[in-house]
Amino acid sequence: MSGCRRFEEATRGDDPGAWGALVAHGSECADCREELAAWEAISHAAPGLKKSWDSPQLWPRIEAAFAAQPAEAAGSAFPARRRFAWIPLAVAAALFVVAMIGLQVFRPSFGERELLTSRSLPKNPLLTEGTLTEVEKSEEAYVASIDRLSRLAEPRLSQSDSPLFVSYREKITLLDSAIGDLRAQVEQNRYNTHLRRELLAVYREKQHTLEQVVREAKS
Amino acid sequence: MKVGPVSENRLVFVGSAKGETLEGEIRSPREDSDETALRERCRAGDVSAFEQLYQTHGARMKSLAANLLGSRSDAEDAVQETFLKIYRGASSFRGAARLSTWTYRILVNTCLDLRRRKGRAPDTAAPAESGEPESKLRTPAADHPLRLDLEASVASLEEKHRAVFLLFEVEGFTHREIAEILGVPEGTSRGLLFESKRELQRLLRRRGIAGEARA
Repeated sequence: MSGCRRFEEATRGDDPGAWGALVAHGSECADCREELAAWEAISHAAPGLKKSWDSPQLWPRIEAAFAAQPAEAAGSAFPARRRFAWIPLAVAAALFVVAMIGLQVFRPSFGERELLTSRSLPKNPLLTEGTLTEVEKSEEAYVASIDRLSRLAEPRLSQSDSPLFVSYREKITLLDSAIGDLRAQVEQNRYNTHLRRELLAVYREKQHTLEQVVREAKS
Repeated sequence: MKVGPVSENRLVFVGSAKGETLEGEIRSPREDSDETALRERCRAGDVSAFEQLYQTHGARMKSLAANLLGSRSDAEDAVQETFLKIYRGASSFRGAARLSTWTYRILVNTCLDLRRRKGRAPDTAAPAESGEPESKLRTPAADHPLRLDLEASVASLEEKHRAVFLLFEVEGFTHREIAEILGVPEGTSRGLLFESKRELQRLLRRRGIAGEARA
């Protein structure tokens, strides 16, 4: 390699004048002259690396691969989004179930309370910030799904005066009131797992009640 | 200085002091409007637009991919995968880069991914890999005494160095285009080219052909 700094300055930069100066300098500096010759030899040989061959089957292959793609792939992305719109909801519901199962697993029964407390349960029964965020997200998705169920049951609940539906109405009113109270308490103490479990139990009860209403309405 | 013939996307200023092109990319308004029209047709999913893109760039894409992957069949796979990615993503293309630049960017990334997946360096004996006689694989300067050694040395370069060398010296892209393709500043492209040529000189010397490199 040339020990002359002018070579690197000229070859690294984009100033053609510097290159011209280097060529002139090469007539006096043997190192740079040799370096220049090697440099240019590489540039002259490089186009020889270009590859060219016929591939008559390549475009038909690509075209066939296009045809195998879903119709919406190349067009508007909107239909694709609508088709898979349920995925985030399903993921949120799954997260909620997992979070709730986790809560149940870590809730000791009376007989095991001492044993679990001393062995594996964390001393602090409160949720961590990360877990809380996940639980709240999952809870939102769950509440949204119960709201949808409510909308389904609403026409029959409000229109029928049969004793059965009147009792369903009263039960749901009570449950909503309990949910409201519990939510207010949870707001005061967001990290309390016990309150959240109670809230979940009331939501479940509401869900079952609404499912019964929908079933009754169909039958 | 003379202005050379239009070579693909650029005018080449021959006889420059540097003995190389002077980054003289000049695009006419018509080229730009053609590119825009093609881009819009691609975004709309018009297969004939993709075919036009293939007709224009397919050969160059295959050449670049073959040098990056060292295998003709892998190169064709990479080109196919690139077109599929473009087809799938065309509707979201917003045109910050040129369609052709975007295409090469996807191609280079696809080749690098393929190589990482296969976990191997390019096979320097690539042209004969398919069993096809090398004479049928047209190389413009196949008889250059340095070619085989240079090919082997290029295969030993690091990923980005190899990509820049191939894009600039072999495929004739400008540093501005290379910067867009690789997502690096133009100065970085120049620096990588300098370093790759330095490394190639070293590798060629190690092969004992320093004298021939001056031929």
